[in-house]
Formats: sequence, C-alpha cells, structure tokens
Amino acid sequence: MHKARPSVTRANGDESRPIQGRRSTPLTRNRRIYATLLAPALAVAVLALAACGVTPQTTLEPTTEAARTARDLLMFVFWAMVVTFVLVEGALLYVLIRFRRRSGDGIPAQTHGNTPLEIGWTIAPAILVVVIVVLTVPAIFSNARAAGPDALKVRAIGHQWWFEFQYPDLGVTTANELHLPVNREVEIQLESNDVLHSFWVPSLRGKLDMVPGRENKFTIKPEVTGTFPGQCAEFCGTAHALMKFHVVVETQAEFNAWLQNERTDRVAPASELASEGEANLTLGGCVACHTIRGTDSAGILGPDLTHMGSRKYIAAGILENTPENMRAWLSDPQGVKPGNTMVIPELTTEQLDSLVAYLQGLK
Amino acid sequence: MATVTATAPDTRTFAGTAWSWITTVDHKRIAVLYLVTSLAFFMLGGLEALLMRLQLATPESDLVSAERFTELFTMHGTTMVFLALMPLSAAFFNLLVPLMIGARDVAFPRLNALSYWIYLFGGIFMNISFVAGGAPNAGWFGYAPLTDTAFEATHAIDFWAFGLQILGVSSILASINFIVTIINMRAPGMTLNRMPMFVWMSMITAFLIIFAFPAITIGLVLLIFDRYIETNFFIPEGGGDPVLWQHLFWVFGHPEVYILILPAMGIVSEILPTYSRKPLFGYAVVAYSGAAIALVGFGVWTHHMFTVGLGPIADTAFAISTMAIAVPTGVKIFNWIATLYGGSISFKSPMLFAVGMVSMFIIGGLSGVMLGSPPIDSQVQDTYFVVAHLHYVLFGGTVFGLFGGIYHWFPKFTGRFMHDGWGKVHWLLMMIGFNLTFLPQHMLGIDGMPRRVHTYAAEMGFDLWNMMSTVGSLMIGLSFLIFIINALRSIRHGEPSGGDPWDGGTLEWTIPSPPPVYNFAEIPIVDGRYPAWDIKRGGGHTGAVATAPEADAEADEPDIHMPNPSYWPIVMAAGMVLAACGLIFHQAFILLGAVLFGISLLGWIEEPSA
Ligand code: HEC
Ligand SMILES: [Cu+2]
Ligand SMILES: [Cu+2]
Repeated sequence: MHKARPSVTRANGDESRPIQGRRSTPLTRNRRIYATLLAPALAVAVLALAACGVTPQTTLEPTTEAARTARDLLMFVFWAMVVTFVLVEGALLYVLIRFRRRSGDGIPAQTHGNTPLEIGWTIAPAILVVVIVVLTVPAIFSNARAAGPDALKVRAIGHQWWFEFQYPDLGVTTANELHLPVNREVEIQLESNDVLHSFWVPSLRGKLDMVPGRENKFTIKPEVTGTFPGQCAEFCGTAHALMKFHVVVETQAEFNAWLQNERTDRVAPASELASEGEANLTLGGCVACHTIRGTDSAGILGPDLTHMGSRKYIAAGILENTPENMRAWLSDPQGVKPGNTMVIPELTTEQLDSLVAYLQGLK
Repeated sequence: MATVTATAPDTRTFAGTAWSWITTVDHKRIAVLYLVTSLAFFMLGGLEALLMRLQLATPESDLVSAERFTELFTMHGTTMVFLALMPLSAAFFNLLVPLMIGARDVAFPRLNALSYWIYLFGGIFMNISFVAGGAPNAGWFGYAPLTDTAFEATHAIDFWAFGLQILGVSSILASINFIVTIINMRAPGMTLNRMPMFVWMSMITAFLIIFAFPAITIGLVLLIFDRYIETNFFIPEGGGDPVLWQHLFWVFGHPEVYILILPAMGIVSEILPTYSRKPLFGYAVVAYSGAAIALVGFGVWTHHMFTVGLGPIADTAFAISTMAIAVPTGVKIFNWIATLYGGSISFKSPMLFAVGMVSMFIIGGLSGVMLGSPPIDSQVQDTYFVVAHLHYVLFGGTVFGLFGGIYHWFPKFTGRFMHDGWGKVHWLLMMIGFNLTFLPQHMLGIDGMPRRVHTYAAEMGFDLWNMMSTVGSLMIGLSFLIFIINALRSIRHGEPSGGDPWDGGTLEWTIPSPPPVYNFAEIPIVDGRYPAWDIKRGGGHTGAVATAPEADAEADEPDIHMPNPSYWPIVMAAGMVLAACGLIFHQAFILLGAVLFGISLLGWIEEPSA
C-alpha cells in the first residue's frame, strides 16, 4: 500500500500557490511589502514540488466510503476557502496599494459606515456557511451509520501504548495488527483499558476516541486490499508518538487462512534453541504479562504473543519484525520505546538468542 | 497596623525605586510590570517551542527525551496562553483603558496591583516545577484520566492545577476591576456608543473571563479532589466520567480563544483608523459583532470534541453554531478593509503589524471553518493541521496584533519612538518565519502527522515540512531578539515622540508622553468617538480636552489627590501562593500563607484609601 504518491495531495498543494502568486503583478512603491507577504507562499510551493515523497498515512487516499466522504468534503471546503482567501486578501491588498499615503494627501473623506454594504457582507459569509453546513450534515449522519446484521465485529482496546484486537464472534485475540476481509462491513467497537486513546487509520476513516468507561462504535467497509498504517491520535502519555498499528485488508480467502492460524495454539518450538526460549519465558518473567496459548504463559498486561512470529511489526508498529529488531527490543525495551510498561530483567546473550528464535517461530 | 503614607519613596536610590515599583498602584506602572513580565514569559514559552522544533526537525531525533517533550508542549501551551498572551493583553488594558476613557486610574487601584502580583507569583510557582520534580506533562488541556494519580504520581499535575487556579483568581479580579472602571469612570460625554473600540473589546473580554473561568475553576477543583482525597469525578472505575472534564475544560477553553483574540482585534481597530486617518468603518457593527462572537462562543465548545463520540445530533448542532461564528468574524474583517478604503494609509511599523494581523487571522479563520465540519475534523483533529490553525489565530492574529500595539503605544509609555526601520525588519522576519513555520504544518496534518508526538518515523514522509517549520521558527526567534534589542535601546535612545506622534484620535493622545501620574489635569468632556481628532481638526466640537496637550503639565503641578501606594497587594499575593506551595511541599506553608493573607487583608482594610 506504500505506493507512489498520488496526484491528489500535491496537486492541491501546488495549484493553490499560483493563485496566491497572481498577486505579484507589478506594483509600485510598496511592492516590496507585498512581495514579502508572498515570499513564504512561493517558497512553500517550490518546496512542495520538490517534496514528492511518500506519505503512507495521508488522509487523501481513502479506501472506504467514510474516508472518501471526509476527503471530498475536505477538498470542497478547502477550495471554497482558497477562493475566499484570494477574494478577501486580494481586496485587502488592493485597498492597501490603492490608498497608500501620497505626499500632499489631506485628511481623507470621513466615512462612518454604510448599512446596505454591511448587511451585504453579513449575508455573504452566511450563505457560504449555510452551503458548507448543508453538505456537512448528511456526511455526519452517514459516518454514524449503524452496522448491518452480517457485519464482522471487532473490539479494539487501547492500552498504554499498544492496541489489542478481539474478534468476539470468532474467538480470536491479537495485537497491533488488525486483519479485515475486503468488501465486508465491519463494526469496530472502541474501548480503553487506561487513559484516552484514539483509533485512527486515515485511509479507512477519521479518528474516533477510545474512552475508558465508554463504548464508541463505527462501521466501515474496506474496499482495497493492502496494509494501512494507523496511529493513536489522542495524547496518552510518554510513548504516545510510538503507539501505532497496522490494518491488513485482505481477500476473504486470505482472511480465512489467517483466522484459521490465529485460532490454533502456538506452534511448538521447532529447534532446540527455540525450546530453550520457551523455557526461558518463565525465567524472563514474560509469563506474567503475555499470553501464549499452549504454554504456561497467560498474562494479560501485554500483547498476546501466540502468533507473534506472523506479525509484521514489533511493539505497536514501530519496529519491523526481524530477528535483529526482536533482539534489540528484548535487550532494552525501555531504550527502544521510552516509558513503555514492559519492564524486564536484563537477559543474557543465550537467553536472548533462544527467545528470539522462539518468538520468530511463533507463526 | 502600619500604613503607608502618601509621601512618595525616594526614587533616586535603587532601593527607593524598587520599593516604588513594589508598592505602586498606578495603572501605568502596573501596565509596565505586566508588559515586562509577560514578554519574559513569552520568551520562555518561545524557547520551549524552539526546543520542540529542534527535536522535530529531523525524524527519529533524540535531542529531547520523550518525557521532556511532554513537559515542553504542556508548558509551552500553558505559558503562552496564561502567562504570556493574556497578561500582555492585560498590559494594554492597564495602560489604555483609563487613558482612553478619560479617567485618572482604574476603579480599584490596589486590586489592580493584587492581580499583577498574583499573576507573577503564580507564573513563577508553575515554572518552579521544572526544578522541583518535573513540570506538568499532560498537555495544556490536561485530559482526564491521564491527570490522575494512577498515571501521574508526582506533583507535576498539582503544579499545573494550583497554578491555573491562582492565575484564574488574578484574571477574574482584573476583569471585575476593568468592568467597573469602564462602566463607572468614563469621562463626561463618553457614552458607550463613543467608547474607543479597544475599550469595547476590553470590556467584552473582561465579561468573557468572568463567565468562562468558573468552568475551569470547577473542573480544577474536582481534579484536585480526585488527586488529593481520592474522589472519582473523572475516574471511570469509580463511576466518574473523563468526558466531563473535557466539557468543563472546553466550556472555558473555547471562550478563552476569544479572550486571547478580542484585545488584539481592539488594538487593530484603533491602529487601522489612525494610520489611514479615517474613523473605524461600521463602528456599531464592529462592537456588536465582538459581543456576538463572545456570546455564541459559549455555545460551540464541543467542536473540540467531535472525535469523542457524542453522536451525530450533538455534532450537527455544534457544527452549526461553530460555523455561525464565521459570520460576525467575517463582518469584522470586511469592516476593517472598508476602514482602509478611501484612507490615506501610512505604513509605519504598527500599521504593518496590524495589517499582518488581519491578513494572517483570515487564514486562521478559514482553516477554522474547515475544522468546524465534523467529517473533516475527524481526519485532521489532533494533527498538525490543528496546530497550524491555532497558531494562525493566536500567533498570526493575537501576537501580530499585540506587537502592533506595542509599537503603536510605546511612545505613550516612554515618550520615545521605537526605531521604525528595525521595527520593519522585525515585522518582515516574523512574517516570513511565521508562515514558514506554520503553513507547512497544514500539509503535515493532512499527510497524517498527529500532534503532541516527540518523534516520527523517517518513512512517514514528514521530514521536509518539519525541517521547514523548524527553520521558520528560528527566524521567529531571531525576529523577537531584534524586537527586544530595539525596545531596550529605544527606551533610552529612541527619538523623542511628544504626546501625539501618530495623529491619534483617542483621548490618550491629548496628554503628554509619558502621561503624568494623574493622566488628565482636567477631566475631559467628550462629544465624539475621536475627541483628539475633533480638537485638532476643529470639527466644531469643544470640551475641556482643548487644554493643549503637552502644555503646562510640568509647570504648575495641579493639586490632584491620587491613591496611596500600598504593599498589601504583594503581601496578599505572596500569602495565596505560599498556601498553594503548602499543598505541594510542606503543610507548614499553608499556615504561613494563611497568616500572611489574613494580615494583609486586615492591613488592606485599615489602610486609608485615596
Ligand atoms: C511487565 C509486563 C511485561 C513483561 C514481564 C514482559 N512484557 Fe513483553 N510486553 C509488555 C507490554 C506492555 C508490551 C507492549 C509494549 C508496547 O508496545 O508499548 C510488550 C510487548 C512485547 C512484545 C511485542 C509485542 C507486539 O505485539 O509487538 C514482545 C515480542 C514481548 N513483549 C516479549 C516479551 C518477552 C520475551 C518477555 C520476557 C522476557 C516479556 N515480553 C516480558 C509487557 C511485558
Ligand atoms: Cu496516544
Ligand atoms: Cu473552540
């Protein structure tokens, strides 16, 4: 899904600048002043062209109706605001240039007001606002649509600083990687285990908060397969910036296969090293916090690790799941993710080797 | 009980000078205290911002730790709102309100001093936290339950909660003072309808403070209960509701935005007419639209909570009320432009800042309309888009406006001009730096960068915008340095300005600069909105203001009785803040604070007043 940057974003970024640029028609004495007003806008435009990087978390590449509604509304209001901007700033600049003080100016005519004019410019913004409201309200209600009876149900639970995902009807619990079948309605219920968090996958939908003591819900129907990044969007403490997750939208067949695997207990260790790793779960204290079905590990303070080896990322979406990264994580979780709640004793090289081998094997 | 006599302290010695400032009840000197203190806090808040920008300049940087970063953004927001911009506005209220309405001081001069000292001590109190175990770190909005002892066991949040309570007392006292002053002490002939627009906006701001602060006061009391005596107002496990905090906070927090912007709007409404030599266009509409903004501003708070899940009906209602505010705001802007239309516009530095305020505030207003639509908001809420929006309003609007005010009234404070050329350099650098900092942040938000993050991954594609933003923020920092140097130099070496350097229209320009202690030798009689213009242009208006400006003020000191200086305000403020320290450091301070407070109260009552 990390595909090349589409035209949408940059297009709007760029096209808006030439409009500001139009103001730079040759001016007289005060030109420099206006040029300075203009300089930053132009600088941004130039750099925008240069910045054709990839932004995987953009809000402008919707893959559901909900996200599309928001994007379309955003684009419409954005352009309406650009037009307003040009008109109002244009009027301001025109007046400033036209009526700059010239030598020999006397006291100008003292106008105090003009009622019809003032009524006029009260009504003008009112009309604009009414148009936006009229477009906004249906979008609000369509975003709040309830799920149909066949919808797949998911519980997403925020923890400081990772995401837990449960499929109550399917008996599956996982973390930091949400799998969804494409073209099927899904109802996601948001909860929190501690403080406020917010569930945000820009390509799927705008954010909705995870509030302890409340159950927020939303319904979406993903239309495109791929892996989409998401991130906690409500400040939730020290590691807030490192509380991410991924949504994997896949075909029904792929989803079923994933589900099948998730429902089984952990894969038994395939090597001696891995078996040692499983034994070390107790030594390392891992059992107190993590669940690995099929072993003695039944803690619930941390993510379920039964199929850790099949996940793409470690520690709430911040490290790719490679043996080196797993080793880095286990040797110093606090260094990798300051403030997080996984506190473990320092592990010996042998213990690390065995745990990495074991966890990588938990496909 | 000792009382202060009317004899002025000997200002030839350092101690005497210091004592004269400590005990002053003169609104003009209190204005200077507010100005200097708020600029110092502005610098502190700015340094905090620069540190954050340096950290975010590159992806995965570790210049600032995650913990430190949370303190920085919490204290940056808190400092800028409560310790820099509100008190900077208060400096203008203090200097200008009495001068503009033709009064000799505010209604309650000692209360005025008390407000200032509470503010100063409250600000210091909150910042002591940096060296006393950790600064507040739950954001300037302090969302529950992150503020509970379960998640923040140190005193960081207590510093924040008590600090805000203390500052709230200061703001409310000052507001009462200014409302009474404006309602009761206007010169004869100055009907509400002839009040300078800045005074109108000051009055509306003061009412806003009085009605908005109680909401946060209650919220903070409940929070302190939750933290100190284990109540559960915001704790879900105990049956409380964290969303209740958000309501209380934003019922205060949204009007707070107008508390921050209306004074700047008032300043701009004075500067634009002066430098275009035309009266404010549509005076009544500008005043009423200010009042309308303030009133509707109490009915829009949940637009900060569109992502909480309050339901489509609530979202719709608050989207409509939020958008409605665009109307009176737009009206103000059109009236400003119409004020310039047909004028004879001179571009001195104050005018550049005022025009900067109008043009940048427009951008903040427009992005505000975008945010008012809940589906759009659901994507960009809590991202850098909001950071950009709020800075276009509070920096592009408030800071530009207030700086314009400083350049404009500096000669009134000091009798000297600030250097105009360097003022323009300041403006130019700030304009470029500001836009370079905040324009790219719109893109960051739309590209999916959340706010309040201490870092971001390289593959997110946020680097370029962030680097630009950091470069811009350094330019802002540089421009501020230029301003400070210019101001310091101009106090001593600026060109003398005389009493009326800008051909002003309001009453403060009819008296010498700096104004004598008693302001007006004779209370003026007013019969128009721009009495000074009327006199100068001989518009057929008469009145006692006709006493020539600089004239005999020094020559024969008129026998005017002014309020006595008093040291009770500073003692009382110290008592209050000591009591708050007691709740954090050692209970003994509570007793000490209470005793000081009690003594000062008695002293205050016993003191012969003016
Ligand atoms: C005190 C409880 C605790 C202990 C003990 C603990 N963990 Fe964790 N672990 C956590 C928490 C909490 C997280 C989530 C951290 C985050 O992302 O913020 C976590 C995350 C992880 C992850 C990444 C999970 C994911 O979904 O990305 C792995 C792997 C892991 N722990 C392995 C271990 C191993 C191996 C041990 C024993 C050596 C161990 N943990 C001990 C609490 C604990
Ligand atoms: Cu978070
Ligand atoms: Cu608001």
